[in-house]
Amino acid sequence: MSGTELVRVAVDAERCIGGGQCEMLEPEVFLVDDDEAISSVVGSGALPRPRADVVVHRCPGAAVSIVEPQRPSE
Amino acid sequence: MATTRAERLLAPADLQDPATFSQGIPQEAFAEMRARPTLSWTPPSGGDRTGFWSVTRHAPVSEVSRDADLYSSAVGHIQIYDIDEDALSARASMIDLDPPVHTRLRRLVSSAFTPRHVQSYETAVRARIAERLDALMQAGGGNWVEAVAAPIPIGVICDIMGVPESDHDYMIELTDHLVAGTSSKPLEAGAYGNTTDLRLLPFNSPAAHGINEYARALGERRRAEPADDLITKLIEAEVDGERLTDAEFTNFFRLMVFAGNETTRASMAHLALHLVEFADQFERLRSDPSLLDQAVEEVIRYSSPILYFRRTLTRDTVLQDTPLRAGDKVVMWYAAANFDEEVFDEPLRFDVTRPLRPPNVAFGGGGAHFCLGAPLARLELAILIEAILSRGIDLRLAGDPVHVDSNFVNGIEHLEVEVR
Repeated sequence: MSGTELVRVAVDAERCIGGGQCEMLEPEVFLVDDDEAISSVVGSGALPRPRADVVVHRCPGAAVSIVEPQRPSE
Repeated sequence: MATTRAERLLAPADLQDPATFSQGIPQEAFAEMRARPTLSWTPPSGGDRTGFWSVTRHAPVSEVSRDADLYSSAVGHIQIYDIDEDALSARASMIDLDPPVHTRLRRLVSSAFTPRHVQSYETAVRARIAERLDALMQAGGGNWVEAVAAPIPIGVICDIMGVPESDHDYMIELTDHLVAGTSSKPLEAGAYGNTTDLRLLPFNSPAAHGINEYARALGERRRAEPADDLITKLIEAEVDGERLTDAEFTNFFRLMVFAGNETTRASMAHLALHLVEFADQFERLRSDPSLLDQAVEEVIRYSSPILYFRRTLTRDTVLQDTPLRAGDKVVMWYAAANFDEEVFDEPLRFDVTRPLRPPNVAFGGGGAHFCLGAPLARLELAILIEAILSRGIDLRLAGDPVHVDSNFVNGIEHLEVEVR
C-alpha cells in the first residue's frame, strides 16, 4: 500500500463532542463551528489514508470515519 | 462458560479505602490485576448492595469509555459507592448523563475548550504562571501546591467562567472541601449556610451548597449585566428551546470549577516530584525542546490525576473474558491502564521520548465523556514546564509529599520545596 492513497472522511454530527482534535490535526479539512463546536468537513474531505487514520483514532467521540477510498488520481 | 462467584478473582487491595492510595498509585496491586486473564471483583461492603468489577488494562478501559449505551454514566453513580435516586438526579451534570442529553449540554461549552480556542488563553496563562513562579523564586521556596499547583488552574478556569479574581481563593477553598480529606478542617453540616440534606449534595459536602449559592448569585449579576464569559453563556443558553433549570445551571458551574481545578492541580503538583526524581529527563527536554508535547503527556500519564470513573451495565455482556450482567458496576482504573505493560514499554520509567500513540487514558479512554478540558490542561502544563526550564529553576524537596486522602483523585495536598 502506498502512503498516497486518498480516502474521504466524514463527521457524524450526532456523535461529535467538539473535542476539536480533527481541526487541530487537519485544519484544511475540518472546521469546528464556533457556537456549538460541532465539526464538519470542508470541501471534498480527501486525505491520504495514514493521516485520515490518525484523525479517526484521535477523535474522542469516535465521530470521524472513512467513508470510501478515492482514486489516487483525484 | 459463566464464571461462578467462587471463581471470581478478588482485587488484591481495598480499592475503596483512601489509605490504599496514601502513597500514590498502588502499582503492585494494579500490576497483579492487569496480569490476570479476567477483570477483578470486589464484593459489596459498607452500605452498598453490589460489589464492582475493576478494569485495569488499557484496551478494555477504551472499550468501556467508547460505549456509553452499554456502559452508562446515568444509570447509577459514577463513583463506586451507591447513592439514592433522588440524590443522583439532584446532582446530575453532564458528567453523570448519557448521550443525547449529555451531548446537548456539552455543546453549550465545548467551543471554549477546543485546541484552536484554548490557544487564545495562552497569553493569560503565561502571565499567571510567570507571576507565581517569580514569587516562589523570590521567597526561595514554599508549599509548591499552594504557591503554584493550586492557584494557576483555578485562576485559568475562573477567568474562562467569569469568576472575578477576588473570589478565586474562595473557589479553591470550596473545591478543596469537595474531595473528602483534601482539607484539614472537616466541615459542619451547616457550613456555608447549608440547609440541604447532605446525602443530596455532591461528595456529600456542604461546600457544594456554597458553590451552588455562589453560582446563583453570579448568574443573577450576569443576567443583569451580560459579559463575554461562560457564566453568561450558560445563563442565556437554551437546550431544546428551554433555558437551563436552576439545578442544571449550578451543577454545570460546580462541575466546571471542580474539573478545571483539581485535575490540573494534581498534575502540576506531581510535576514538581518528576522534576526532582527524573531530572535527567528534563535535561533532555531542555536540550531538545521539540519533546515538549511528549513531556506533557508523560507528566499526565505518570500523575493520572483522576484515578477512576465508574460505569453501570445496561445489558449483559462479556468484557476481558468476564461475563457481566445488567446492573453490574464497572470501574475504569485509568491510573492502572496508564501503566499497562502491553501498551507502555517499561511503564514505571518516566520517559519524555515516549511516543504519543497509543495515547494514555488520563483524560479517559475516548468516547462521549472524554475530558472537555484536555487541550486546556495540556496548554497549562506545557507553559509551566517551559517557564520552569527557561528560568533555570533548580527545585529541591524540603519534605515528603502529603497525598490527598482519596481513592478518586491522585492529588498532593502539601509539598514543601526549596528553589535555587
